Amino acid sequence: MSHRFSEWAGAAAAVAAVAWLASGPAAGQAPQPQTGCPLQEYALFHSCALEKAKTFNPPRTVDGKPDLQGYWRAPGSGTENIEEHPKTSDDAGGASMVVDPPDRKIPYQPWGRQQAQENRDKYVEPNTACFPSGVPRVFHTPTRFETLQTPGYVVLLVERAHVYRIIPTDPRSHVGKDIDLWLGDSRGRWEGNTLVVDVTSQNGKPWFDQRGNFSSRTAHMVERFTLIEADTIHYAVTIEDPNVYTRPWTMVYPMRRLRPFELPEEACHENEYNTDGLIKLGYRIYPGARPPAAR
Amino acid sequence: MEKRAVFVCAGLGMLATVWLLSVPAAGQGGAAPSGTYTPPRNAFGQPDLQGVWQVMNTAAWDIQDHPAQLFPGLPARFAVPAGQGVVEGNEIPYQQWALARKKENFEKRETADPEAQCNMPGVPRITYMPYPFQILQFANRVVILYEYLHVVRQIYTDGSPHPKEFLFDLWMGDSRGRWEGDTLVVDLVGFEPQTWFDRAGNFHSEALHVIERYTRTGSDHMQYEATIEDPKVFTRPWKMSMPLYRRQEANAQLLEFECYAYAWEAADKLLGSAGRSR
Repeated sequence: MSHRFSEWAGAAAAVAAVAWLASGPAAGQAPQPQTGCPLQEYALFHSCALEKAKTFNPPRTVDGKPDLQGYWRAPGSGTENIEEHPKTSDDAGGASMVVDPPDRKIPYQPWGRQQAQENRDKYVEPNTACFPSGVPRVFHTPTRFETLQTPGYVVLLVERAHVYRIIPTDPRSHVGKDIDLWLGDSRGRWEGNTLVVDVTSQNGKPWFDQRGNFSSRTAHMVERFTLIEADTIHYAVTIEDPNVYTRPWTMVYPMRRLRPFELPEEACHENEYNTDGLIKLGYRIYPGARPPAAR
Repeated sequence: MEKRAVFVCAGLGMLATVWLLSVPAAGQGGAAPSGTYTPPRNAFGQPDLQGVWQVMNTAAWDIQDHPAQLFPGLPARFAVPAGQGVVEGNEIPYQQWALARKKENFEKRETADPEAQCNMPGVPRITYMPYPFQILQFANRVVILYEYLHVVRQIYTDGSPHPKEFLFDLWMGDSRGRWEGDTLVVDLVGFEPQTWFDRAGNFHSEALHVIERYTRTGSDHMQYEATIEDPKVFTRPWKMSMPLYRRQEANAQLLEFECYAYAWEAADKLLGSAGRSR
């Protein structure tokens, strides 16, 4: 059994268990799509959603901010590969989530593709070991998640491996540069109807997907969350890391609203035995990329 | 590789962290006696418990009175600091068989403590581990986010009952809360039986029932109580209590402590240069 398959099997079992736990028959399920925007072709979704965002007037919280609260799911195909990949016996397949650059590929420096391949060949897929998924995989791992808003904070509660993100929306500086975090250090602000989140201080150990696509400790990400209709968020993340890429690049996908449910406790690491087996086979724990420019 | 040994290695790092955090901070005190302080109310009219909080005690090692002592397998600088217990009356009313089991746990604590596996530590133990946690309040819910392992507790205060049955045991239990005057009262059941109360082997069964009470006693202080019931292990209910302190740093925020990630990194180091043959 490939470790990617076993991860899928584990995830499927967890999802099945979760579905059983959910209180109502429809809880945790997506409502019918209402959008005219294509949801699986991310470049088309991107342009369509930006157009819709111009006229959509989102509901507001008591303090007048766009209300992004609720339960959501992002497309899961990105966890196989955020770039375009065919349907195979091992993969469900999917379009590239990369919308910029125009060739829809991660603009790696010349060593980057080889590094991604080496990641895949040599290391335990970090999600198999239940490590926090990092930004942005924390959304497309796949998982269900909840957004909560309170004056001064947006909070994201993620079902997979029970990680959370606390995003302060008051002006405050990032943590110091010697602190690194699996989920990075997030600072949010509202630009019109869009929540803009600036992410620094990542530890460079999560991957974007099972293919080993990666960033490093010097990555800087800017995420943009925009409600484009009642049940769809346009999510875009621009990633720059001058030690790894030749230019900044952007991923986009829809987040679709789920009917309310109680997010269950997803004990991932507890009684997890796949990693031990992989280490016995000689797979190593990924230490993070060491870009030539940073060596 | 023996997984347990790997996690014990990571425990070293954790104990180092604990030691650093156990140095008493300046500026303690200022709490009004319980019952005389009127807490501010939030937009929902609830007593405002929000903020970043942490204990300042040694209950993580032992919830009962204990002298300073070596911890098995660790050098002197990681020894256990002395502490006065947080259990009211200092006595835990174990049934006879359970007291024997507690003593056995204590003897084997270096490896038998589920904390050594970096598992979620249960309630109330997570409250008095040496890491901060943040309380957030919503109309029908209190959310507590813990720095340790990114643990999340959702405490529903909408009047909903515990589930009638649980498909599987919960490491952190099922929390249902209510406001009683100025106090948040949380009722927990549905626990996984593996967790302990501390590093000294105090334990419970799956019949554990916890009632927590959170009461502000000052602008930067809160009294925390946990009543413990477990008819399979104890002869009567018992209670622990301790103050919680608001973190005073202007830049206070939760960081991360991904215990098992460090454990796997330690395991990887033990592999040295031997990798998968390609």
